[in-house]
Amino acid sequence: MEQRIRVLIGKPGLDGHDRGAKVIAYMLRDAGFEVIYTGLRQTPEAIVKAALQEDVQVVGLSILSGAHLGLVRSVADKLKEGGGDDVVLFVGGVIPEEDFPALKEMGVAEIFTSGTEIGQVVESIKRHVKIRRGEGGAG
Amino acid sequence: MTEQEDKIKAEKKAWEEGALKKAMERFSFLQEPPARYYTPLDRSDFDFLEKVGFPGQYPFTAGTYPFDPMAGLSRLAAKAPQSSGLTRAAMYSGYGTPEDTRDYYRQNIERGVRQGPNLAMDLPTQCGYDSDNELIEGEVGKVGVAIDTLRDLEVIYEPYQGDLNLDNIASNFTVNASAIYLIAMYVALAEKRGIPIDRLRATPQNDILKEYIARGTYIFPPGPAMRLFRDTLVFITRHMPRMNITSMGGYHIREAGATRVQDLAFSLSIATAYIQAGVDAGQDVDAFAPRFTFNAFGGSMEVLKEIAFQRAARRMYARLLKERFGAKDPRSMIIRQPICAHIGPSSTTKQRPLNNVIRATIGAMAGAMSGGPPAAFPPYDEPLGLGWSREAQQLAQDTGRILACEARILDVVDPFAGSYYMEAQTDEIEAAAQAEMDKIDGMGGIVAAIEKGYVQRAVSRSAYKYQRAISNGDIQIVGVNCFIGENELEVQTNRLVPHPYDPERRARAEERQIANLKEVKRMRDQKEVRRLLGKLEQKAKDERENLLPLMIECAKAYVTLQEVCDVLRGVFGEYEPPSIF
Repeated sequence: MEQRIRVLIGKPGLDGHDRGAKVIAYMLRDAGFEVIYTGLRQTPEAIVKAALQEDVQVVGLSILSGAHLGLVRSVADKLKEGGGDDVVLFVGGVIPEEDFPALKEMGVAEIFTSGTEIGQVVESIKRHVKIRRGEGGAG
Repeated sequence: MTEQEDKIKAEKKAWEEGALKKAMERFSFLQEPPARYYTPLDRSDFDFLEKVGFPGQYPFTAGTYPFDPMAGLSRLAAKAPQSSGLTRAAMYSGYGTPEDTRDYYRQNIERGVRQGPNLAMDLPTQCGYDSDNELIEGEVGKVGVAIDTLRDLEVIYEPYQGDLNLDNIASNFTVNASAIYLIAMYVALAEKRGIPIDRLRATPQNDILKEYIARGTYIFPPGPAMRLFRDTLVFITRHMPRMNITSMGGYHIREAGATRVQDLAFSLSIATAYIQAGVDAGQDVDAFAPRFTFNAFGGSMEVLKEIAFQRAARRMYARLLKERFGAKDPRSMIIRQPICAHIGPSSTTKQRPLNNVIRATIGAMAGAMSGGPPAAFPPYDEPLGLGWSREAQQLAQDTGRILACEARILDVVDPFAGSYYMEAQTDEIEAAAQAEMDKIDGMGGIVAAIEKGYVQRAVSRSAYKYQRAISNGDIQIVGVNCFIGENELEVQTNRLVPHPYDPERRARAEERQIANLKEVKRMRDQKEVRRLLGKLEQKAKDERENLLPLMIECAKAYVTLQEVCDVLRGVFGEYEPPSIF
């Protein structure tokens, strides 16, 4: 039997627009994932601490305030420092395309912006987790 | 049933079994007709004067005013362009440091803008944190201007002097949890300039309850937050007759995922709580209700229903004020809001973004037909996440102008009044919203319903249901889940006009604001600051005290926003949201 994927959905920073984060949390849970939702206003430290404690395979960050570059870098760095460098990191929200390369550089696996199809998010996360587990799955 | 209705009923049956059935045969995949036709049978007990009446009169179903002000002004556009009033008031704006925002407003004034600032504040300001707080690093001056102390407001308002001084302009502050201290700062600014505060005109958003449901810039639990709201209501009612108390919004709640009915029910339940707070504080409802405004209710692409929604909202609010609170002044009973029906920002798509011009135009038409101006909102580049370009704003403005001046869409007030469909739809939305309001009343009101987490969960579930409906194709969005084949052209657009905010200034905004704050803290009288904060703590513990007068003193002594909020955090505690599962 396939091991259930554990996901942490976090809202770093002060941005309070959580519709997307909640919808993704509900959706992943219905798709069979184990989901932890941090709620609003989490510091990168708190998110990484929760992710490591809960031993999640995936961290999803939702940011709509434009503060994504700093916040994502901080989470990504702290994950690596804490030994969570195999955690799949994805980002959702209002993210201008010009920032995609910088986010990927930081280690973000996927960026989901408005209009992303639900099924696409689920499939993408599964695929990335498989790759990290070394179960292959090309591209 | 009248003889005429019997006749219509018989004819309807014949039509359903004849022409309609035949038409349906071509669509074997449909369970029921894809379109409805309404007849006098759908509004058989319709009493025109009771349900609709005249625009600008109780129950205000047809409109808040006898006609939209823009209808009058639009007649002058080609004759006296300066006074045509078809140029928008100041846009919601605020950048980086107070200096950056001041310079932006100064440029606007040089270009001929006469309106006061419509201030966007950064999230630390809205959540009660100072710019030098390490926890909020990276957020200073983003999504709005940073305001830590009165010094910052003094800088922002530097260009507003002479005939643009505080007694001649109206300001707008998008701030909720910390609104009371921003109001105190504005009063302090006026007093330092020698302007009597009864001359001040401003609209603070000051709508804290919706922050627990949407938008999320809360600080304290709902109970103490309502006490702060009460303090602002009482102070403004007593001392600032030209100042608005709140600008309530259903639009944030809808954007967070609420259905149309939830938007209406939750917004009006929130209004009910605010009115009750004023009444409980011993104020006459007609003394303060006319100073309540609405930011906007939510919108969507289902424009016929949105028109009905606006009509229902006006009628329900009027009845609420008159019947439940015993208001006598018609000005207490009206919904004052800048726009009526519109599409929501969440109706716009990132895919083929120019389609959003069409969507907003449809919303603008609905706006005009629902008793408001033809406001094309939002500009088409809203979902691109880059800020509104000047081109997009120009298009949005011109849309309204074309609708008013060329299409003459404002020539008739409430053109759907008496329509079999529209009256039935208005009744239906009203009944459903009333049922939800009654449910909330049964829980002990909206504050209790928020404390239980009922409202937050209801909205999140609706958001998820909506997303699933997009996913399975029950809801169709052009360019997103339909008409996305290879033969479709991905219409792209260029944005040529540069953003007014210099990227280099933006990059250094946080560092510059921290330096500003450091300087203020160095110059001020620390002993006085400590004395005031001690006094604030004492007064905060006594529920009967109004904190606003003391906060004006705090503002004048350059006490920071976070210093004030930290004292209140100590006394009131902080809000802990309920679990979403």
